Amino acid sequence: MRNAERLCLAHFWVAFAAFLFACAIGTWQMWVRSPLGANVGTPGQYFMSVTAHGVSMAYVLTTFFIMGFGYFVAVTALDRALPGKLWAWAAYWVALLGVVLTVIPIATGQASVLFTFYPPLTASVWFYIGLVLVVAASWIWCVLMLIAMTEWKRENPGRPVPLAMFATVANAVMWLWTTVGVAVELIFQVIPAALGLVQTIDVGLARTLFSWTLHAIVYFWLIPAYIAFYTMAPRAAGGRLYSDTMGRLTFILFLIYSLPVGMHHLLMDPEHGNATKFIQVLLTAFVAVPTLLTIFTITASMEIAGRLRGGRGTFGWIAALPWERPMVLATGLSFVMLGFGGFGGIVNMGYGMNAMVHNTSWVTAHFHLIFGGSVVIMYFAIAYAIWPRLTGREYQSRAPLRLQLWLWFLGMMIMTLPWHWLGLQGQWRRVANFNYADPIIAAWGPWVIVSFAGGIILLASAVLFVGNLAALHRGPALGIVRPLYALAVHPPLRVPAALNGFGLWNVLVLVLMIAAYGYPIAQFLIDPSPGAIVHRVR
Amino acid sequence: MPDVTPSPPSEPHVLDQPWRMWSSLAVFGVLLSGILLGVLVIPIVQGRSVGIDAYTAICRALGILPGSPAQPQPATPLPGMPVSQVAWTSDLLQILARADVRRGHAKVQEVCVACHGERGDSIGVEFPHLAGQSGAAIYKQLFDYRTGSRAHPMMTDVAKALDEAAIADVAAYYAGQPQRNPNPVTLAEAPPSIVQLVELGDPKRNIAPCASCHRAGAGGPIETPVLAEQRAEYIEQQLKLYASGERRNDVYARMRTIAAQLTDDEIRGLAFYYRAGFR
Repeated sequence: MRNAERLCLAHFWVAFAAFLFACAIGTWQMWVRSPLGANVGTPGQYFMSVTAHGVSMAYVLTTFFIMGFGYFVAVTALDRALPGKLWAWAAYWVALLGVVLTVIPIATGQASVLFTFYPPLTASVWFYIGLVLVVAASWIWCVLMLIAMTEWKRENPGRPVPLAMFATVANAVMWLWTTVGVAVELIFQVIPAALGLVQTIDVGLARTLFSWTLHAIVYFWLIPAYIAFYTMAPRAAGGRLYSDTMGRLTFILFLIYSLPVGMHHLLMDPEHGNATKFIQVLLTAFVAVPTLLTIFTITASMEIAGRLRGGRGTFGWIAALPWERPMVLATGLSFVMLGFGGFGGIVNMGYGMNAMVHNTSWVTAHFHLIFGGSVVIMYFAIAYAIWPRLTGREYQSRAPLRLQLWLWFLGMMIMTLPWHWLGLQGQWRRVANFNYADPIIAAWGPWVIVSFAGGIILLASAVLFVGNLAALHRGPALGIVRPLYALAVHPPLRVPAALNGFGLWNVLVLVLMIAAYGYPIAQFLIDPSPGAIVHRVR
Repeated sequence: MPDVTPSPPSEPHVLDQPWRMWSSLAVFGVLLSGILLGVLVIPIVQGRSVGIDAYTAICRALGILPGSPAQPQPATPLPGMPVSQVAWTSDLLQILARADVRRGHAKVQEVCVACHGERGDSIGVEFPHLAGQSGAAIYKQLFDYRTGSRAHPMMTDVAKALDEAAIADVAAYYAGQPQRNPNPVTLAEAPPSIVQLVELGDPKRNIAPCASCHRAGAGGPIETPVLAEQRAEYIEQQLKLYASGERRNDVYARMRTIAAQLTDDEIRGLAFYYRAGFR
């Protein structure tokens, strides 16, 4: 799999380079928002920096990491060559071209619209074209994942698709559904505005289309972490996966319930009726189900491992787990952050509580904790787990790996918990600086400084992470290749077609999407609202 | 490790059908209960408690009728009248963009020059300077005089004699004239309470900072006028007209709300602050 390894490494290194850059400018932003860096930089530089940070983290890190990881899973879990390797390389170069096209307008200050666009703000058209190329490349990846699974099923009739691949394809299918919203928004609304073909833009429609994408995209980022929970963590701990079926159900539930729920990002928007918001919030509540299934299943799997290692009593198995292994440690730390982040997410989901935290730092802190914390720490764990296979080299010591994971965990908690608190105090988001001469704002100062300290720890962790991976390229040659994927306690011999493919679930997603988004989108065409005048960022 | 190479399943459909049926039923069940609660039960119950009939409440919940199913709308026997007829549509922005400065200059020499001066330096304290004023601000005020949204013994008739394109031309001409600085004073001369009003406002009295709109690049509406270097007497007079409600062409009553909270001393202080043209 030499070629496939190069393909995976090429993707991962783009992802992690963007990640390191974004960590550095993220720390700068924490500094200028704090009393320590007040009056440093202009608002223009701040919003340029926030745009670069968001685009790097949300589009470049995630898309490249997920594509690379998908290729790795397709080769290793299915134990067969990757179909369409040329297409995979073509997609890589298209995505990279897209990144370059996006970066240039950001760097020249012509795209300071943040990574969620906010029409009627309009950036240079190249910013959007670049992002469309990244998305189009990821579609090629989706098709390759589907082909890999279909060919494997043809060669192995009646056998269950390995869970890691089943989950990867679930993510690819979800991503195809997910990107329709933002693609329609960009191609039919934002790009014509950026080109000057239209002078007004229907902001309500644009926000609705973006909400279609906005929640499911988060699950697109999150599913690799869940793949690691189900298929790698139990093996790393020396145990078995408690239930393979539970894993399949989890990924299916993500596919179904991450899509028709995006309107909970629009609870304070005026363009939709209460009933639509209610239906989508109810469906949102069901997104918690796969996470609860996962916490149960992975805890049970870890208990099996702990007891196999001699752990006794109600909690003795926890101490018996091999916490020195990065995958196990990362899973534990990720669960702690998932606990806090999940709680915050439930607050955001409720209409009344959301009204209080809306547009405050609470929201920013929430998505940093849940994505930057519980998800990205699993990206690290995955990279650490598969890097020896990709490079054919062995770690000399795992201590720097553990240190890096602990730093990330501590940094993220120190950064985001005060940030949540500031949100509850009413600290607004999306502002370039705070006037600490104002007594109310001055009282926030100490907490912002604590948050900034967390940011510095995160930056140190990010540097160490990239250093750890780079160092492995010069490590000693790999002796034995250990198996990566966990066996289930009862490995499935045969699963119903419903748990081995996505035909049924696609039909159900279609029904739910029509119910959830049919009228809310149609209303803009039935009775168009006055457009907002396009505001070009220069 | 058990053997994981099975024989092909003998009866795949037997295994599959219950899955297909029950999972579809579960998903539809969740969806239907959501629709039942969100579209029917909650709006009807909420509507009943405030005296809204079931049909109206359901239509409001769906967004077909405006308003909330849980709140009665106040009865309005008269249709609402906007305080200004100017709407910042893309058509209007095109008109402003296509304005002709030369035609504007000619019109100024014909009509405006007597009070506002050829370059926008007004001849008396009751007339505002127009040099370097925002074109959109001049357009809006002239249009408001023309439509009766703002009244003035002289300006109403002057504006009625101008058509829309001429208004845009005049606005563009004066906007292009350099600002003047007749009586420069330093920032140190402004009392701290006035600087505080400009920079921070007074949240206790619901007064937003003046600078949140009246500053280049600030987030105010497009028609926000430039106040720097304006005649203090004119600013004072206009703030008082807003405070009394005699002038009412400010959208959302922004200026009426603020001016009504200001004391006479503050009004005078702000007028002097802006006359110097600090920003």
